[in-house]
Amino acid sequence: MNFLKRLIRGGFERLESGLDAVCGPRLNPLVQLGALGWLLFWLITISGIYLYIFFDTGVTQAYASVEDLTHKQWWAGGILRSIHRYASDGLVVVTFVHMLREFGMDRLRGVRWFAWVTGLLLIGFIYVCGITGYWMVWDQLAQYVALTTSRWLDALPIFAEPISRNFVNNAGLSGRFFSLMAFVHIAAPLLMLLFMWVHIQRYSHARVYPARNLTIATVVALLALSLVEPALSQGAANLDELAASVGLDWFYLAFYPLMDAVGPGGLWALSLGFLLVMAILPWAPPLRRPAPAVVHLDNCNGCARCFDDCPYSAITMQPRSDGAAFSQEAVVDPDLCVSCGICAGACPTATPFRRATALVPGIELPEHGIAALRDRVTSACQGLAGKPGVLVFRCEHGADVAQPSTGAAAVIDVPCAGMVPPSFIDLVITRHMASGVMLAGCHETGCYQRLGTEWTSRRVAATRDPYLRQRIPRERVALSWASSVQQDARSAAVEQFVASLGGLAEVAPHRPVPAEGQLQAAWQAPARRWPGWLRWPLQALLLAGAMWPLGFLSARPEVVLRGENEAVVTLTFSHAGRPLQECRKQTPEELAKLPPNMRRPVDCARGRWPVYIELELDGRQVFAGTEEPAGLWNDGPSSLFERFPVPAGPRQAVVRLRDSGRESGFDYSATASLDLRPGQNLVVEFRQPGGFTFR
Amino acid sequence: MTQIEWRPEFSIGIADVDYEHQELIAWINRTLVASLDAAGDRSAVTDLLGEVFAKVSAHFALEERVMRDQGYDQLTEHKRDHELLLDDIRDIMDDFESGGDLVEERFATRLSEWFGLHFRTYDARFHHRMSGA
Repeated sequence: MNFLKRLIRGGFERLESGLDAVCGPRLNPLVQLGALGWLLFWLITISGIYLYIFFDTGVTQAYASVEDLTHKQWWAGGILRSIHRYASDGLVVVTFVHMLREFGMDRLRGVRWFAWVTGLLLIGFIYVCGITGYWMVWDQLAQYVALTTSRWLDALPIFAEPISRNFVNNAGLSGRFFSLMAFVHIAAPLLMLLFMWVHIQRYSHARVYPARNLTIATVVALLALSLVEPALSQGAANLDELAASVGLDWFYLAFYPLMDAVGPGGLWALSLGFLLVMAILPWAPPLRRPAPAVVHLDNCNGCARCFDDCPYSAITMQPRSDGAAFSQEAVVDPDLCVSCGICAGACPTATPFRRATALVPGIELPEHGIAALRDRVTSACQGLAGKPGVLVFRCEHGADVAQPSTGAAAVIDVPCAGMVPPSFIDLVITRHMASGVMLAGCHETGCYQRLGTEWTSRRVAATRDPYLRQRIPRERVALSWASSVQQDARSAAVEQFVASLGGLAEVAPHRPVPAEGQLQAAWQAPARRWPGWLRWPLQALLLAGAMWPLGFLSARPEVVLRGENEAVVTLTFSHAGRPLQECRKQTPEELAKLPPNMRRPVDCARGRWPVYIELELDGRQVFAGTEEPAGLWNDGPSSLFERFPVPAGPRQAVVRLRDSGRESGFDYSATASLDLRPGQNLVVEFRQPGGFTFR
Repeated sequence: MTQIEWRPEFSIGIADVDYEHQELIAWINRTLVASLDAAGDRSAVTDLLGEVFAKVSAHFALEERVMRDQGYDQLTEHKRDHELLLDDIRDIMDDFESGGDLVEERFATRLSEWFGLHFRTYDARFHHRMSGA
C-alpha cells in the first residue's frame, strides 16, 4: 500500500512540477482539484436551471423539447446543454483524479477519513445525477440507460414488480415517469450540495473557488468545446425497436456494458465492493500519528491566533475553565488535530527570548515542543561554527536540503514550515547565530498541511499575525517552496541564497522601520518557468488536451446493442398465482367464537403458487423459469421481464404458463407465427384476463 | 525611579485586557528593579526582558483580537503602534545583550511613555467606544 502511495505521489508531484513550469503554481490545476469540482458543480447548476426552464416532461415532449433547445436556440440552449454535459464529464474526471491524489498523498488516514468517506458518498450522487440526466432526454441512449439501469435495480430484492416493466413498449410508457426523473435529477444535486458542504466541514478556509484565471480558462475551454462538438441527442427513443448501436458517455456509463459480462448481480457486487474497499482504506492500516496539540492554560490568554490559523478546524475558543481573568481559552479537539504544529507557530508566547520562565507556549505539539525547537536551533547553529551559513527550517513533506558548495546549511526538520514562530527567525538573525534563515516548505500552492506555506509567507511579509518583526532585514530571510521531487529547485535555492548572503552588510541595530507598504519581500529563488512565448501556447495546448477526451468519450466509442440481423423478444408478465388453498366458508359456530369485528364469512390463506413460464421458438426452448410471488407472505404477484436476442425472420413461438399447484400440464398456453424484422422488439406478455399477446 | 503604577483610569473596562495590563506593569517593574541592582546579574535582566517581550506580544494579540471582535475602527493604527513598540523592545533587548546600558532612560522612558500615551489615546478611545460614550 505504501509503495502504491509513493508511486502515485511521485507521479503527481512530477506532473505538478511540470505544470508549475507551464502555468505557475497559482494556476496549477492539480493543486486545486476540489475547487475545480466546485466550479464545475456551479457551471452545471447554472446551465441546468436554464435547460430546466425549457424542458417538458412527457413521453414525446421530453425529446422534442430538448431537440428544440439544441437546434432552435443553439446559441443559448444548445451551448448550455453542451456545457451542462461537458462540465458533468469534467466533474467525474476531476473527482477521480482528486481522489487518487489524496490517496497518493496519504491524506485519507487519521483525522482525514471524514473527507474521504463523505467524498465517496459524493461519487454516488454524481452518478445518480449523471444517469438520471441521460435518462430524461429520452433519446436512444436514454432508452439504453432506462433498460440497463432498470435491469440493474431490479436485481435488488426491494421492488414488488420489476421497474423494467415500465419500459415494455411505447404504449405502456407513462409521462409521469419523466416528472419523476426531473424530480430526482433536481433533488440529487441539492443533496449533493449538502454533502459537498459536509465534505469540507473539517477544513477551515476550504478552497471552493479555483484561481481566477483558471476559472476563466475552464469556462472558455468548455465554451469552445461546446461550439466545436455540440452535445446532441441520438434519435428519439422507441421502445418498439432496438437500435443497432448507441454512443455512450464513458465517464458516466462505462460500467453498463460491463453488466452484459457480469450480470446485474455481478455489477452490484463490483460497485459495492469498490465502495467498500475504498471506504476501509483510511484504516488500512490505521494512522499512527504524533500526539495532538496541547494547550498550556498558564500561557494562553485566549488571543485566538491558533484558532484563526488551524487548517483543520481542530481548535475552538471556549469559556475559561481555570478561573483566570481571561474570558476565553483555546481547546483542541484531538480527533480533528493532525499534529501539523501551525498553531504553535501562531502563538505569541512561543518566543525563544523567554528565559525567566520555562519556554512553554500557550499551545504546542508535545512531540515537537517549542523549548525543544529552541534547543535544536541553538545546537544546529553551533554546528555552523562561524562559517557563513544558513539555518534551514525544512518541512518534512518537501524536498531535502543538500549542503551548498560554499558556506553551510544547518537543517531542522519540522512537521510544517508554519510551525516555526517568526520570533525564532528574529532570534537567529539578530543574535548572529546564522547569516540567514530559510523557511523550506513543500509545494507552494499544494501545501501538505493545506495552509502552512500561505501562513508562513504572510507572517514573513507582515500581513498576517504573528508578524516577523519589520526591522529584520528580509534579504536574510528566504522562502523556498519545493515538493519532494523538486529537488533541483531546492538545491539551487539553497545555493543561491547562501551566495547572496556573502555581500550583505552586518545586521545593524536600530535599523529604521520600513514605511507603510515599503517592507522588502523575503528572498526567493527566481521562479522556474518557461518563457512567456512558450507558456501561452503550451497552456492552450494543455487545455485543449484536457477538453478533447471530454468531447470524444462523451459519445464515443459506440456500444453494439444487437447483431446486424437481430431482433429482440421480450417476455414479461405480472400475474398473481392461484392461492395455495381455496377459500373456505366459516361455519356459524366458528364465527361465533371470533370477536365481532373479526367475523369474516370467508377465510382465505394468503400464500400463492409460484408462476412457471416457458418460451419456445422454432421448437427450441429459449426460457423456462419459476417466478416466486412477491410480498413478505408470498401473497403478491409473480413477475418477469426478460429480453432475448433472436435472429430476424419467420419464427414459430410457443409459450406456456402454470399458475396452480398442478404437477404437469399448463394452465395457459399460446402459439404464434411471427415475422421478426431486424431491430424489432416483440413483446410476449401474459395478462389476466386476456391471456397471451404477441405485439 | 520611574516605576509604572497602575491607576484606575487605566482601566478600559474589559476584564481580560485590564488584568493583563496590570500583570504587564508588574513584570516591567520587576525588570526595572533588577536592572537598577548594579551588582546584579546582567543575564537576569536579559531573561526578564525576554519575558516582558513575550507578555507584551501575547497581550497585544489578545487586545487586537478583542478590537477585531468589537469592530474597533482604529484597529490598523493601533496595531501599527503595537508592532512599533514590540520592535523597540526588541532593539532595547539587543542593545542590552551587546553590552549596552539599559535601562532607566530607554526602557523605562520608552515604556512609560508608551503606556501613558497608549492608555490616554488608544485604549481610552476604545473604552469609550465600547461603553457607547
